[in-house]
Amino acid sequence: MMDTVLDAPTRTFIEVTEVWVPKDGRLVLANGNYGALDDFAAVSGQESFGPGEGLPGKAWAEARPVVLKGFEGSYFKRTDAAKAAGLTSAVAIPVFAGDILKAVLVVLCGDDKNRTGAIEVWAENDGLLMLSDGYYGAARHFEWVSQHTHFPRGQGLPGGVWASNTPILMRDLGSGYRFIRAESAGTAGLTTGLGMPIPVPGSKTFVLTLLSARGTPIARRFEIWDARKAKVGHAREAVLIDGICAREGPLWSGETEKERRVDAWQGPVGKALGSGLPVVESGTPALAAGYESMVALPIWHGPELAHIVAWYC
Amino acid sequence: MKKLVVIGAGMATGRALEHLFETEPGAWDVTLFNAEPRGNYNRIMLSPVLSGEKTYEEIVTHDADWYEAHGVTCRFGEKVASVDRDRKVVIAENGDEVAYDKLLFGTGSNPFIIPLPGHDLDGVIAYRDLEDTYRMMETAGTPGAKAVVIGGGLLGLEAAAGLRMRGMEVCVVHLMGHLMDRQLDEAAGYLLRKALTDRGIEIRCSTNSKQILGENGKVRALELDDGTEIPCDLLVMAVGIRPNVKLAQECGLAVGRAIHVDDQMVTSDPDVLAVGECVEHNGAIFGLVAPLYDQAKVVAKTLTGEHDSFVQREVSTKLKVTGCDLFSAGDFADGEGREDIVFRDPARGVYKRIVIEDNKVVGAVMYGDTSDGNWFFGLIKDGTDIADMRENLIFGPAFQGGTPLDPLAAVAALPRDAEICGCNGVCKGQIEDAIAAGATDLGGIRATTKASASCGTCTGLVEQVLAVTLGDDFVMPASQSICACTDMTHEDVRRMIKSQKLTSMAAVFQECGWKTSCGCHVCRPALNFYLLADWPLEYQDDPQSRFINERKHANIQKDGTFSVVPRMWGGITTPQELRAIADAAEKYSVPTVKVTGGQRIDLLGVKGEDLPSIWYDLNQAGMVSGYAYSKGLRTVKTCVGTDHCRFGTQDSTGLGIKLEKTLHGSWTPHKLKLAVSGCPRNCAEATCKDIGVVCVDSGYQISIGGAAGMDVRETTLLAQVATEEEAIDLIKAVTQCYREHAKYLDRIYKWMDKVGLDWIQDQVVNDLESRQAHVYRFELSQSIYRKDPWAEHAKKPEKYQPLADLTLEAAE
Repeated sequence: MMDTVLDAPTRTFIEVTEVWVPKDGRLVLANGNYGALDDFAAVSGQESFGPGEGLPGKAWAEARPVVLKGFEGSYFKRTDAAKAAGLTSAVAIPVFAGDILKAVLVVLCGDDKNRTGAIEVWAENDGLLMLSDGYYGAARHFEWVSQHTHFPRGQGLPGGVWASNTPILMRDLGSGYRFIRAESAGTAGLTTGLGMPIPVPGSKTFVLTLLSARGTPIARRFEIWDARKAKVGHAREAVLIDGICAREGPLWSGETEKERRVDAWQGPVGKALGSGLPVVESGTPALAAGYESMVALPIWHGPELAHIVAWYC
Repeated sequence: MKKLVVIGAGMATGRALEHLFETEPGAWDVTLFNAEPRGNYNRIMLSPVLSGEKTYEEIVTHDADWYEAHGVTCRFGEKVASVDRDRKVVIAENGDEVAYDKLLFGTGSNPFIIPLPGHDLDGVIAYRDLEDTYRMMETAGTPGAKAVVIGGGLLGLEAAAGLRMRGMEVCVVHLMGHLMDRQLDEAAGYLLRKALTDRGIEIRCSTNSKQILGENGKVRALELDDGTEIPCDLLVMAVGIRPNVKLAQECGLAVGRAIHVDDQMVTSDPDVLAVGECVEHNGAIFGLVAPLYDQAKVVAKTLTGEHDSFVQREVSTKLKVTGCDLFSAGDFADGEGREDIVFRDPARGVYKRIVIEDNKVVGAVMYGDTSDGNWFFGLIKDGTDIADMRENLIFGPAFQGGTPLDPLAAVAALPRDAEICGCNGVCKGQIEDAIAAGATDLGGIRATTKASASCGTCTGLVEQVLAVTLGDDFVMPASQSICACTDMTHEDVRRMIKSQKLTSMAAVFQECGWKTSCGCHVCRPALNFYLLADWPLEYQDDPQSRFINERKHANIQKDGTFSVVPRMWGGITTPQELRAIADAAEKYSVPTVKVTGGQRIDLLGVKGEDLPSIWYDLNQAGMVSGYAYSKGLRTVKTCVGTDHCRFGTQDSTGLGIKLEKTLHGSWTPHKLKLAVSGCPRNCAEATCKDIGVVCVDSGYQISIGGAAGMDVRETTLLAQVATEEEAIDLIKAVTQCYREHAKYLDRIYKWMDKVGLDWIQDQVVNDLESRQAHVYRFELSQSIYRKDPWAEHAKKPEKYQPLADLTLEAAE
């Protein structure tokens, strides 16, 4: 069906996902999926971050997604524990509802020569989206090319997300990426991409993309849910507008088919819808298609929860 | 087993087979011919495949396993050469004959290719199947490749959006005035255009193509009928489809626009059925998927001997471009007995319009918020009586929570960098900052930012920014809105037109939150003037938004006849002109010929049907429209000046002629009368005109703001200048300033009372650079409008024997 779904990965691209929420002026851990990294989980559970402190605090204070590669000597607060767990890079994604910080989602990755994929942060600069930073695993050449690529409005995955202000799931990364893939022939192709707007206070534009490769996919199921009043009306529900799954195939509904909907608090996506916060679930038997873990990330348009993107491993 | 042959593996036949195999599994031996080398896929999802948001594999409806499991003999990539209905066989291209008990036509449709010169060049394609899609993807792979899409309908726009996602520069050329004109009204079309422009797609509406230009057999550019060339490496024609009925016609089936079928989908041959885009049912043909699936169900029932009837039903439209939410259903054309309810939210880019007839919803168009689309669609389909819910209907089924119409929504929606005060260049953000820093009223804003401290026409907007920012802490002074369609004043709307670069009527209606779908007789003429004054190149004058006199280019009289006044530049005429006027007066039996106060001759009592002919005759004599009917330059009255008068100080007649030639055709907020007197004795009565020039020994005194109507006013001196050239420049500049800032239907004196003479002097007298900028903008506008409207409408009077000598004819 698609490249990500061909074979089972040996290790997932993202090893740790955690949700930090503000409480009494500091960010505290709400939940997380640490896989087998119990020691890192234990250290994290005791940690908290003020604005500007550590990676989550930096994303909060600077109101932007932050990519950190190499913890040694940086502002990262859990360097020793991360090193022990083999984690080398992290991306912090703030979730703002208008001016209010709802949470910071942090994903941590291990360094591995065999794992290809990309988590990119694109920022608007002079009417173009330029790469702010990104984590690429082993895809070094891809990283170099991405640094030298820009997207006008409406072009490619980042430009498409920017222009439509909507998360987009692409199966065939055309503009810009097409050239990159051609250059990286022989290595694993990056075909599937999930792009989403990351709204922050002020007028800056950020787009986050998760690019998945065959063999070490970022996830094996992606979903985009639309929760805008303009789409679902006043009911607190969300409708699945696109998705793809290694086990169930395409998840979108045809023009004459019934749409899939969830109510607030119904399942993990419903929980993200109800709470407006990112949801990380693992080891729960009720996850879609029998997956072991999932992340649901809400995207707000000002004070309104607009979309939820979810990925499953 | 019964033998069924199906021609065409499209969505309709595919669905029919599904129903058939469900009802009578194993009962049919099916042979499926398809010209495309593949089976059934969800053709309407080709657009997301083009954009990269889906793969072809994802949109396959029936794969090889499915056909095998149902014992379908697939003959893909094979066309059917003919059908012999007498012998009941289908003959393939290779001569194979396949016998049938029942035959099902699903030949679909062909894209329509406009036979423009160059349509057969390489790189000119339609958008219909997977091959076209792959061709587009392949071309988009070349960095910097450009595409032109002809057709701004559903398919054309999906192609454009997909190609743009792929990285191409895309231009859409559309013949009609707004996008998706068959599904959307102008207001929704405007929002869609804005959304697509926002993603970097160039849109050209009301544009006609002339030819496709090529180089070495490959497409190079599209040439428009105005000569513009739009370069392209790929040209996609998406201008519509035509039912594919060739085979059906050849085998003698009854065919009209498409293959005739009855309610059971049976053609004129009882053993031959047809389904999908190739059929005509009760005069209608079909392009959307919902009715095709209904037909498919009926086909399966008919084949299995059950009774079912196809009933045409309302269809709704959606566009598959991520981020463009639109919905359209039913009929939303204006018509007698129809009313509409409109809701706009400029901040969210939302437009909803419901069309009602006899207490029933007959049409619905929505952009930006489509959540209630299906509910309205249900009301249309069911013909529900909505009399009881009319009040809140527009808010949908959950109306209690409906967003109330917010009169401040348009201002709330403005970005921080929107310019509010044009005089002092103050943006909304600066005013917000000033409010945050403690300014809580208009005086405070003026003191800290200078906004509204000059001409004051932005006062209303500044107050609205205060209201939006301070909420209940600010009490809005009552102000007069243009009309019941809006809460904004003339000044507010003018500022919005300038600062938000609104260049069409639809843009003003949406961004200023108009409460009606297309304005009324009060606001439309005002907007038409504001738009053409501010955006002379971008905006096209709309005759329908003009009063009858301006539309007819003549003044309507109380008996329904018209008056015709040719221009006499500066009040000077010639024997030839007088003769032509006399001839015309006789020829058209003009009952009254009068000399006007503006030094020209008025022919009163001309019949409406004679207007084009009398214009033609006067044009032939070198005369043009005197615009005696317009909110624009009327006359420049002069005295005889130095040529004949012993008191004359300058060539007042010469200046008058130059001024009239320079200013004629320019539209102004109200009528504009000028006069030039050669000395302070003021024989031309220049000091009671809108703009008056009094010549003195040392130069020219230019004064403005006179009137001699219901109000009588003397002009006020604007400036004295030394040279004639300077006088003309200053008059052009002050005219332009008046055009740019005055409220529609305010004469200069009223405008001057509002903004103050000092402010006008600051704009056009004291600041030479600013004066020149006004002159430049005036000339730019005049490059479009300095023309004779009669010439466009004048017609040679054929009923007077066109070959004869017209003057002799008239003299008889």
